[in-house]
Amino acid sequence: MKYADIRKFWLPRHFVHYLVFIACSLILMPTDLFGNTENQESQSSSTGDVRRGERFFKGLLPFGREHQACASCHNLSPTDTLNWNPSAYELAQKFATRDINEFTNAVMQPSGAKMTASHQGFNLEAEDFTHIKAYLDDMAMKGPVTSRPTFFNLMLFLFLGLILTWALIEMLFLRRIRYKFIPVLLFLGAFGAQAQMVITDAIRLGRQKAYAPDQPIKFSHAVHVGEQGIDCMYCHTTADHSKSAGLPATDLCMNCHVLIREGTNSGKFEIAKIIESHDTGTPIEWTRIHNLPEHVFFSHAVHVGAAKLDCASCHGPVEEMHVMRQHSDLSMGWCVNCHRDTQVDFNDNGYYDTYIKLHEQLKAGEIDTIRAVNTGANDCMRCHY
Amino acid sequence: MENKYWRSLEERNDPVSFRKNEIRAEYEHKKSVIKGESGSSRRDFLKAFGFTIGGTAILASCKRPVEKAIPYLIKPEEVTPGMANYYASTFYEGNEYCSILVKVRDGRPIKIEGNDLSPVSRKGTSAKVQASVLNLYDDARYKGPLKNNEPVTWENLDKEIVEALNQLNAENSKVVFLTSTVISPTFREVIAGLQATYPNIEWVQYDAVPASGMLTAAKESFGSALIPDYHFDKANVIVSFNADFLGTWLSPVEYTKKYSSGRDLKTGRRMSRHYQLEAHMSVSGANADIRIPMKPSQESSALADLYHELLQLGGTATESGKSGISELATVAKDLWENKGQGIVVSGSNRKEDQLIVNAINHILENNGSTITFDRPLLTRQSTDETMEHFIQELTGGNLGGVIFYEVNPVYDHPGGSRISDALKNVSLSVSLADRPDETSSLCRYIATGSHYLENWGDAEPKKGLYSLMQPVIQPLFDSRQPEETLLRWSGNSIRYYDFLREFWRAELYSRQSAFSDFNSFWNDTLQKGVYEVPAETPGLTYNDQGLSSALQLASPATDNWELVLYETVALGNGKYANNPWLQELPDPMAKISWDNFVSVPVEWAEANGVANESVILVNGIEMPVFVQPGQADKTLAVAIGYGRTEAGKTGNNIGFNVFPLVQVVSGNRQFWLPGVTVETTAKTYPLALSQTHHSMEGRPIAREATFAEWQLNPASGNELREDHIKHATTLYEKPNYPGHHWGLAIDLNACTGCGNCTISCQVENNIPVIGKEQVRNRRIMHWIRIDRYYSGKPQNPNVSFQPVMCQQCDNAPCENVCPVAATPHSDEGLNQMAYNRCVGTRYCLNNCPYRVRRFNWLQFVKNDKFDYHTNSDLGRMVLNPDVTVRSRGVVEKCTFCVQRIQDKKQTAKIEGRPLRDGEIEPACVQSCPSSALVFGDMNDNTSQVFRLIGKTTDPEIPGDPRNYHLLEELHTLPSVGYLTKIRNTNT
Repeated sequence: MKYADIRKFWLPRHFVHYLVFIACSLILMPTDLFGNTENQESQSSSTGDVRRGERFFKGLLPFGREHQACASCHNLSPTDTLNWNPSAYELAQKFATRDINEFTNAVMQPSGAKMTASHQGFNLEAEDFTHIKAYLDDMAMKGPVTSRPTFFNLMLFLFLGLILTWALIEMLFLRRIRYKFIPVLLFLGAFGAQAQMVITDAIRLGRQKAYAPDQPIKFSHAVHVGEQGIDCMYCHTTADHSKSAGLPATDLCMNCHVLIREGTNSGKFEIAKIIESHDTGTPIEWTRIHNLPEHVFFSHAVHVGAAKLDCASCHGPVEEMHVMRQHSDLSMGWCVNCHRDTQVDFNDNGYYDTYIKLHEQLKAGEIDTIRAVNTGANDCMRCHY
Repeated sequence: MENKYWRSLEERNDPVSFRKNEIRAEYEHKKSVIKGESGSSRRDFLKAFGFTIGGTAILASCKRPVEKAIPYLIKPEEVTPGMANYYASTFYEGNEYCSILVKVRDGRPIKIEGNDLSPVSRKGTSAKVQASVLNLYDDARYKGPLKNNEPVTWENLDKEIVEALNQLNAENSKVVFLTSTVISPTFREVIAGLQATYPNIEWVQYDAVPASGMLTAAKESFGSALIPDYHFDKANVIVSFNADFLGTWLSPVEYTKKYSSGRDLKTGRRMSRHYQLEAHMSVSGANADIRIPMKPSQESSALADLYHELLQLGGTATESGKSGISELATVAKDLWENKGQGIVVSGSNRKEDQLIVNAINHILENNGSTITFDRPLLTRQSTDETMEHFIQELTGGNLGGVIFYEVNPVYDHPGGSRISDALKNVSLSVSLADRPDETSSLCRYIATGSHYLENWGDAEPKKGLYSLMQPVIQPLFDSRQPEETLLRWSGNSIRYYDFLREFWRAELYSRQSAFSDFNSFWNDTLQKGVYEVPAETPGLTYNDQGLSSALQLASPATDNWELVLYETVALGNGKYANNPWLQELPDPMAKISWDNFVSVPVEWAEANGVANESVILVNGIEMPVFVQPGQADKTLAVAIGYGRTEAGKTGNNIGFNVFPLVQVVSGNRQFWLPGVTVETTAKTYPLALSQTHHSMEGRPIAREATFAEWQLNPASGNELREDHIKHATTLYEKPNYPGHHWGLAIDLNACTGCGNCTISCQVENNIPVIGKEQVRNRRIMHWIRIDRYYSGKPQNPNVSFQPVMCQQCDNAPCENVCPVAATPHSDEGLNQMAYNRCVGTRYCLNNCPYRVRRFNWLQFVKNDKFDYHTNSDLGRMVLNPDVTVRSRGVVEKCTFCVQRIQDKKQTAKIEGRPLRDGEIEPACVQSCPSSALVFGDMNDNTSQVFRLIGKTTDPEIPGDPRNYHLLEELHTLPSVGYLTKIRNTNT
């Protein structure tokens, strides 16, 4: 390459192209990184009612009267901590098709112990209900309020990038700092930190440990398993003989909930959803938590039915979880390590009679235990086919 | 005995330069693929590189999509998500019957297996049966009832048709209900009900490929028009004149089962001798011990000669030799020595030929021993006479209406064009078809039928042997099964299911004593799929009516060119033309897919400078050439079933239709033409020929011996094996398999090359269809291919079939060249393939001496360029959820159906018992109609596979003396063992 060619790159024209490219890349990058800039609470179709309703809901209006903000119980955006009460959006959806009287009655004549306790001494006027209803109807149409994700990580990454760039320029061109090791150290540090961030994210890619999404019903394993002591297999009936453990069908829920219509934590609102599903014939769309990576076949049957593993060994202390959460990272390393450690029922399960050599070795004392890995549990084609 | 094998004539004549050319062609091809085809350059690469980086950056920051898990509202008792159910049902289409088990996963039928309880098909299936599941998910199907190609409601359609039928009845105008052979007794009852309501309806049966000659001859010889029961298992000598009973003739699955059990040297020491006289190399001819090329015009005189020879042996002085086939004397002698233990069959549709066949079997006393009449075959009952009568009435304008069911005469009858012209003038034309065909597309009304997997029904394929058909899925479209439709039109409001049950209660339940209530009887039969009533011997006596005139009519052969029209194993009569699996299945003999072609004899081709892919003119029609070793001199052959125009996007305009060439000679359709003209042209036409793919570099791979040699020394023909074992040394560690060591034995003596395993494997393992162009590019994806080798004279060679799949070598050459360890060895001797680890270097592919690995050169799934079935949601419903769908850039190969191994192991573990021998059956093994494949655990000393191929890790345990491994001199230690082919020649 000739010198002239190299110079061309630094011509302003090319530099402009470069900037355009950067801009384009930034636009192409997923909006998720920067948070959703779209304002979901836009006042596009706003009437005074909607705005007043919103303020009332959030406890900002009216100034004179003293009342509790609706939003203090009925949260507007997903929360990290569990809120048993129905969220604002759920309420909005529920009452979108009903008239103002029904709404007023529902608020003023609470049903169930929990709601009665909190809906005490409400001092509301008919006008207020109109406003709140208008706000909720608006919300039902526009969808739930989404919170803005933090982008601390990205900021940090960019900041490290700046340091790195500065250190590089300092080292190569400026050379203002006497002690050379300062920019070198800064460079190495920033680069290392960035690499660390990339590696961590790359490993986490496709993994969802501790994933605990909001479910359409605030179903609590802590209540059902922990407090009521219901066996896992009562609901997940196929865990010991099918690949899939099975989600209970609505009619299975109705075995109990045909009678139990009110919960201690959630009142009537959540249980009513099951009854509605049963009555209207619409199945409940749960959000799937345990998603295996692609190209893996996993069978509950062989782990529960044959190996008699405890459910908790993979799913963790489910009996303590109000919100179901993924306990293990479900990575291949996790599978393989467990296969290395877990002993198989070698002497009692007749299937293993086939492993004559291992039985001989065991008897002769050459080996003391047979673990899953010894019977080929870590072969590729046990899971990948 | 060692034969010199050749795969094509070029190779036979000059093997060295052939290999050079082949390699050069392959190199040139690959070069063009790399360079020419896409025209990509370094700049393109850089562009692609840039985009990839950008894409990766964007992808990497994406979160996983939120997935939903939606349980049932009310869970059906028998459906468990993740577990398959199997339902016994019945396949009967295109005159082929098979009792089947349908595998249903989460409400979708995805695989068809053979039903071992069936006394007819006995766990066997054919390629067509295997592929039929895809027809359910065929987008070409009618989505609902139509009138003049416009959708109508069922209420309106029923109303209009009933009105029209009533009016025609009042006018006393005749309506013909044209069906293929109906073997369902209940359906026959429905038709009787229809005729009772509308006495003007006449029921006519018509089969695309008839057995009319047989039926009329049997009527004369035995007084009853029936197709007898052939016991190929009991016969010592089988002589077939042009009847491809292992491929397409009458009931091939049943006959293959019986034939191979009469020649099974795995368990027995008896072997039948099979003579085949034919013009075109058929599957039966390829399997015959002695094949005698014969022109179709010679058949009559050859049969007459055989009859006279037999008379002479019986002491009557007669004259023979009209046909000029000298071998017939030997055939006659062999038959005479095995009196009462032979079978003579003929594929001819001439009554006179069949009369002589009946006479031959009579004087050989075969009737009653190897040929019985207590369970006649009912799958072909139509006679050509009634069809001719129908066409005359139709073209004469005597019909007020026609209703078509399961027939397509516009396409597959020589008078098709006349029918299509006449149909326009018929006031009521209705089709009960479930998908468009050439006939239904001309009909005014389409009373859309359902696929057989959506239907209730029954069948009586052989007298007294019943089977039930049950739906395994709700109709996917707004269709209604024809029986139901006809009941409605008869004014009967009963559901067909109830009608069926009532019929069974009245007709079959009343005739048994094992069950005391009907529900238990019904449920038991439904579960088993089949039901048998004791056979009745009809007491038929033979008479030689018409024989003397038949013998006189047997004229000597002519010297003209003759053209044979034959059915192929894959497409049959063309009904399944829209099935991409069957279109891509290479023809067993020619190894050509996606086309029909004309087979020409070798000597003529050489003399006239005609080669494969040349185009010749036959009676003025352009046809691409395939030079077929074994093609009788002065004969040509073309497959029927191609050239559909209304089959659907896959099947339309594939090949050319030769049904119009069928001649009607003295009332019967004749599937060959005398006196055709042949001209050469300078044109060529590309054929998807996979014959020289995956070559084995001319090493001794298919081994064989004669029966006489085998009787003296069971290891004859397999002498090399001992030598190899002696010299086998290795630097590798001796493999150690603590539990199972899976092995597969393939009996080359049993394999008939029918292709059932290829399709079965394709269905089970989600193998993509890649189309003609890619097959030509040598990229065919089948995990199990059937190699076909010729030996001997090209005019009449011997044929060996050899199914080859991944050999699961213990010292696998593919494993140690993989740079990313995507294909390691398992503790059970499997050569594993981890798709998600594969980066597509293809080192393994190149290092595999068996060429069984397949590379996904392109994205075959969800790609509209491969518009077969995997690019639509409907077509993808057939995919097996237990097997990964591979994407571009990944190597794949046979896994011994590891998903099935895992499944059965899991069951055994849960039940706490050892696996039983034969419990695990890979897809190819399960439904093999000749039981040629045996799968099992070589570590289990009691297993069948251990007895056959021993322990491949231990040379001290070699298994059956016939056992050998492919290219064992390489010491790859394959887990697949082959048993030598034995030919029962009389030398």
